[in-house]
This record gives sequence, structure tokens and C-alpha cells, in this order.
Amino acid sequence: MAFESPHIRAACVEATEFMDLTRKFRVTGVPKTIVNGTGEILGAVPEDAFVREVVNQ
Amino acid sequence: MALLSEQDRQAVRGHLADLTHQVTLLFFTQTIGGPETAQIAKQILNELAGLSDKITIEEVNFILERDRAATYGVDRIPAIVVLRDVEDTRIRFFGAPSGYEFMSLIEAIILAGGDDSGLMPESKELIAGVTNPIDLQVFVTPT
Repeated sequence: MAFESPHIRAACVEATEFMDLTRKFRVTGVPKTIVNGTGEILGAVPEDAFVREVVNQ
Repeated sequence: MALLSEQDRQAVRGHLADLTHQVTLLFFTQTIGGPETAQIAKQILNELAGLSDKITIEEVNFILERDRAATYGVDRIPAIVVLRDVEDTRIRFFGAPSGYEFMSLIEAIILAGGDDSGLMPESKELIAGVTNPIDLQVFVTPT
């Protein structure tokens, strides 16, 4: 998605290395995606659903 | 000791064979007192660089080059910023890229060095309509 839009940034975060972030965003399972620091998408969601969720946050 | 087996190396070489753009990985780390995972990340990146002449690793000192870290939004290490030629792809990796994250890094390199995101036309259309900044943080574990 970051490849497609100059407005989108994407970071892959290794959850076990950064426990502060893992706690802050209550990551109890992976993958878990945090959108703009608040929205949450749990699990490996199919592409169409994932994209819709992200752009509608 | 090498982290990648000969079999891994051959597979990765094959995946990276079609890169059309130069991919630079800015590797943010520190030389003294950094996390152990930064050393692992460094070794993985060095092994990776040897597998394609289209991949360059540039080490950036997180402590001494604060401005550069801030420019790329890097607030912790180890961190990898993926550049296509010299342009920021806005793709980042935080933590050592081992296990599953290694495959994600390879995919990001293929994306950055190629010409198509591989997303469905419907997805591209939705994404093209985005006008506000969106920040995605995908939490993963190595296994």
C-alpha cells in the first residue's frame, strides 16, 4: 500500500523486541496492524478487506 | 557462522533476480551499547547484500545522525528503511529481520526494486483515493 500511495507509510515491527509498543497497542497475537496509532486490524485479513479497512479508518 | 544456508542463499538469489531498480537499505544502528538484535540484523543484511548487485546496505549511526533518523521517522533500532534508487518507499522494518520477517524483507525489496505492487486493480483504485496520511504498524514475530 505504501508503494501505491505517497500518503501511506508501512512499518513491520518485531513484537518481541519492542515490548513497550507491544504493551501500548495490546498486541496479544500476530499479525496485528495498528492504523494511525488507534485503529486495529487483527490477523491475516484478505487483501480486499484489509485495504477497505485501512482506507476507511 | 553464516545465518543463511546455501539453500536459502540460492532461493533468495532467484527471488531477487528480476530487480530493475537499485534498492538501498538504510540500516540504523549504533556501534556501542546497541541491542544484541542489531548485530543479528547487521549480519543478515551483509549476507543479503552479497546475493544481488542491485542491493546496497548503508549503515547509519542512530546516535550520531539524529537528524537523518528523524527525517525517516526512525525512533528505535535496529531499523531498516527501504529506498528505491534514492527515493523513500515509506517501508520500514523495526527489529532484526529473522524468521518470517526475513521473507517480508525480501518481499519489500522485490516490491521496491520492481514496477508493480501486485495489488488487485480494485485495491489500487481505493488506495489512489487516499489524501490523508496513513501510518501502518504491522506487528509480527519471528516464528
